[in-house]
Amino acid sequence: MFAVLALLVGVVLGAIFEPSVPLVLQPYLPIAVVAALDAVFGGIRAKLDGIFDDKQFVVSFVSNVLVAGLIVFLGDKLGVGTQLSTGVVVVLGVRIFGNVAGIRRRLFRA
Amino acid sequence: MIERPPASDFLTEMFRNSLDAGYAEAARRRAQRGPDPWRRRLTGQLARGLVLVATGFLLVVAYHQTVAGRPEVSRVRAGLVTDVRDRQHETDLLQQQADRLRDEVSKERDAALAAAGTDAGAIDRLELATGTGKVRGPGTVVRLGDAAPPVDPVTGKPTGKNLGVVLDRDLQRVTNELWRDGAEAISINGERLSAISTIRTAGSTILVDFRPISSPYLVTAIGPEDLDQRFNDSRTGQLFRALASQYGMQVAVDRKGELTLAAAPDPQLHYARPVPSQSPSTPPSGSPGTPVPSSPGGH
Repeated sequence: MFAVLALLVGVVLGAIFEPSVPLVLQPYLPIAVVAALDAVFGGIRAKLDGIFDDKQFVVSFVSNVLVAGLIVFLGDKLGVGTQLSTGVVVVLGVRIFGNVAGIRRRLFRA
Repeated sequence: MIERPPASDFLTEMFRNSLDAGYAEAARRRAQRGPDPWRRRLTGQLARGLVLVATGFLLVVAYHQTVAGRPEVSRVRAGLVTDVRDRQHETDLLQQQADRLRDEVSKERDAALAAAGTDAGAIDRLELATGTGKVRGPGTVVRLGDAAPPVDPVTGKPTGKNLGVVLDRDLQRVTNELWRDGAEAISINGERLSAISTIRTAGSTILVDFRPISSPYLVTAIGPEDLDQRFNDSRTGQLFRALASQYGMQVAVDRKGELTLAAAPDPQLHYARPVPSQSPSTPPSGSPGTPVPSSPGGH
């Protein structure tokens, strides 16, 4: 409940302020979103497994977003930015799918 | 507790067990150490809340950026493009009107001069020399085009600076060479050059007499039959062959049997005025050197 509320607060804040993202950061935004989603789904699954840990959640969120951004930045510098972003999205996508499957097994026993 | 199969390799591990191993470890630690003190739990909850707020914020911002932001960019761009097209159309219409009126004026003037018994041919010859009259004759067309931008072989994105782009300097070189080779009338993309014409750059656009022109640039010159030969043999011709082979600039020199060049706009002269002794047609108005308030009778 608390988590959903916090998420909603973030959404409302974003809707109110509608911040404009600096041009330099724009390529990292979609990757950051996918990384954040991965951390959130991991947290939900851990919660359902009964092993949720605040510190682990916060650290995984921050490091996910930072590492994903760093990889894309490096890729841009090396001239393989698009390919590396695809790689990051694939890896995080696989993890999100796995975690969602875990959540589904917990919730529906199937 | 989830059972953990022995880690074989990274990919298999990732597909089989996508949950961060840290959660299991933290749970094991907690089981050994007992529950955390309430203060620690509160900070943990706060941090968790902050992260979730950040996630929601990120989602909305990304949504705005990709869904709401993109159409606006293209909309503004499309608006600007139509704006530019409209203005171009407007200028073209005005230009046509000006050409028509100029023809009319010259016709009227010829009629008036003929009625007064003056030599109308003198003015025609002057117009021919100053570029303010339509002319035709044999000549040469020099066609310059920007090179295709260099492309990164991996990503397909344009890379670096395109060195084969036609600059105002190139057009100046070509026209100067053509004048030197005996051209008597030159126009660039339909803009006839007169004695006060300019070829310059504004941003990345070349302006001839303050009208923007774009690649390919057609420098049309009326002159001797072997104008193209003379141009090709000149140093400028060599230079442009080198530019074509090294930077991919498109250069073509073609001889044309019959060319028609439009008239240049009438130069609006405000300060220059004829010296009385050298132009007997103008009645002497004041001694030379004395400022005249306005130029009587035009130029």
